[in-house]
Amino acid sequence: MIVSKENGKVISVRGNPDQPFTKGRLCVKVNNYQERVNSTDRILYPMRRTGPKGSGLFEQIGWNEALEEITTRWKEIAATSGPKAILPYSYLGTQGILNGLNVGDPFFNKLGATISERTFCDSGACTAYTMTIGHTAGVDPESFVHSRYIVLWASNTLTTNSHHWPFIDEARKRGAKIVVIDPYRTRTARLADLHVPIRPGTDGALALGIIHILFRDGLTDADYISQYSIGADELAERAAEYTPAMVADITGLSAELITELAHGIATSQPSVIRIGVAIERQSGGGQAVRAISCIPALVGSWRRPGGGLLQLPLWAFPVNWGAFIRPDFIGPEPRVLNQWKLGEALTDEMPLDPPIRSLMVYNANPMAMAPEQGRIAQGLAREDLFTVVSEHFLTDTARYADILLPATTQVEQEDIMFSWGHFYLSYNNRAIDPMGEAISNTELFRRLAKAMGFEDPCFSRTDEEQIAQAMLWDAPQMEGITVERLKREGFARLNLPSADEYAPHAQGNFATPSGKCEFKASMAAEGNFVLGLFRQGYDGQQSGEPIDPLPHYIAPQESRFTNPVLAARYPLNLITPKNHAFLSSSFGNLPHQRRHAGEQPVVMHPADAAKYGIAAGERVRVHNDRGTFEAIAQVTKDIRQGVVVAPAGHWASLNSGGATVHAVTSSRYADMGAAPTFSDTLVAVERC
Amino acid sequence: MAYVVTDNCVDCRFTQCVAVCPVQCFHADETMVYIDPDNCIDCAGCVEACPVGAIDDEFNLPDDQRYWIEKNRERAAILPRLTGTMDPLPGAEARKAALGL
Ligand code: SF4
Repeated sequence: MIVSKENGKVISVRGNPDQPFTKGRLCVKVNNYQERVNSTDRILYPMRRTGPKGSGLFEQIGWNEALEEITTRWKEIAATSGPKAILPYSYLGTQGILNGLNVGDPFFNKLGATISERTFCDSGACTAYTMTIGHTAGVDPESFVHSRYIVLWASNTLTTNSHHWPFIDEARKRGAKIVVIDPYRTRTARLADLHVPIRPGTDGALALGIIHILFRDGLTDADYISQYSIGADELAERAAEYTPAMVADITGLSAELITELAHGIATSQPSVIRIGVAIERQSGGGQAVRAISCIPALVGSWRRPGGGLLQLPLWAFPVNWGAFIRPDFIGPEPRVLNQWKLGEALTDEMPLDPPIRSLMVYNANPMAMAPEQGRIAQGLAREDLFTVVSEHFLTDTARYADILLPATTQVEQEDIMFSWGHFYLSYNNRAIDPMGEAISNTELFRRLAKAMGFEDPCFSRTDEEQIAQAMLWDAPQMEGITVERLKREGFARLNLPSADEYAPHAQGNFATPSGKCEFKASMAAEGNFVLGLFRQGYDGQQSGEPIDPLPHYIAPQESRFTNPVLAARYPLNLITPKNHAFLSSSFGNLPHQRRHAGEQPVVMHPADAAKYGIAAGERVRVHNDRGTFEAIAQVTKDIRQGVVVAPAGHWASLNSGGATVHAVTSSRYADMGAAPTFSDTLVAVERC
Repeated sequence: MAYVVTDNCVDCRFTQCVAVCPVQCFHADETMVYIDPDNCIDCAGCVEACPVGAIDDEFNLPDDQRYWIEKNRERAAILPRLTGTMDPLPGAEARKAALGL
């Protein structure tokens, strides 16, 4: 991103035309980033609550006063209830190695606060993927130009990864076929050659059905399998159960379509599968990712550039995680709390000893993005809960803060970033001085550590010193990349083979215990786990529930097939994809993006609309036993009958009825990595 | 909810926009190009590419230009999709100069 400024003020932003992946384009989320920076709604000074919790009434205070109040409370809580009564809550509302995922980890690890298990995004898929092919970056997104058959599985690429699309489109120009697997005919599905409108929550069955056909029709790459995989015979035996007829029944797809997919993936080499986060957000999401991750090795796609699987390019970046997490500060018996359970943890639903007495939220907005919204609001309203929120805006969560702290935006801070979507390391040069009294997260935790009296040198590291520690600069991928170069040029491609040559698993080399693609996963023996990266570096106290070492299909818990009693009351299956104009809930308050997104919609099939007497454009209530939200009905055949779509990210405080989609979602986990089960939600829709 | 081609494109039709558009949104007639609003992903790539500043976010249009929103939709729906750039119309450079650009 190139920032233009005048008199110290950001006036516009644009993409960098020299960046080979983004090629000068930004996206609807950040095209008007100056409006975020300059918004009159920005929180620019520390504030203290003056009205009732949630009222949004605050008075300005000074930084010293704010820090004094926070640390006095925390010291008192730590002394009387123990530091575990304090819970940090954060994710990736701010990106960057310095200011993002792990910025508070050394502080809270040192404090001995409850460890926040952050399984917002990709944790379930990571657990499954790691067990199968290891922590590999997979296919270079730029190598897709060489792919002959591209499966975008649960990925609305044009909304969530739009810079990837030109590489996919280029492949099509060279003769590739593009397939989108999604219950909803998204804007990406509309542009695909083939749309596979699967029933939500049944991706695992489809993957096993494909594997069935691969073995049945002799479409596997026997040589690749024998050299670079383990467990093929057991997998074949398991997949034998998943006949096309049975899979058709489960997925709502025809046996012919399933067969076409299997043959396409096998015979149009190199074929590639791009998986989206939606797959893990169902009861059997982990095993679904396991099954899908087996497919490229079964057909030998990994042999050539542009063949295999793409999940998270982040694994390619040699980040010096340890220096930013400091797991060595964790005491002998920490307490771990998963972030999906916030509502329960703050209310009587989950008895905790000690109970949570203080919550610090940064880089996150749980009221908008975590399940059981009503229960979270109830917890945040607790008079005896001391809540600190660091934010840009008065979000639905920030409204409940006792102390509100002003945070800088990306243009007001320095950072270095890995990528979720390509192989370029980027440098975030600070463009302007911080607005008002806003500070970066790094500065926030320096100040908090000082006020708490933490003396370890890691707490006084400057941003410059942190940047110097951010990467494992000696790693081969970093050859030729220096901080100076990054500062000057803004980005650098990791020193990996070019996209025309990169085939990381042409000869196996999977980062699994056996070094092979493990159809039968040896790591399953240890049971279910969440990667340490998502738990402040802590690997203990894993849930360890048994995991079948072979992929299998786990049906949704809330569906008319598995829970007809519930479905009789709540007959529609809700899915909650990303909004085109928002980044989760970020930008959900800004005028431009709100105009783009319109009011919270719920998309439904004409037959369902007719059945419940709903006309297009009408205001409806979407509800179940967990809660209710209001939405505007959109009626279209782009969605399967029996399924409704309500994008997440709208703000409850800005939506009619004061609630949004997460009022009805559950905090139940998927089978692996404590992923959520947002696609496993039954609701009823009725006119307001 | 899209980007819109407006006045300045008329009789220019430089089509650099077509080269940057990731989703082939552009449709053309004899005088100018139009954006298909249902496909446009609002990436703004074409705004920078246009040599005559003809393209803008529909939310930024002044009232007297808002008719272009419907016009882009209508024309894009019936005209063929452009898959590559075309030569500018004869007189495009003169028109660009006349626009003071
Ligand atoms: S904004 Fe982007 S997607 Fe829309 S027409 Fe312009 S280049 Fe194409």
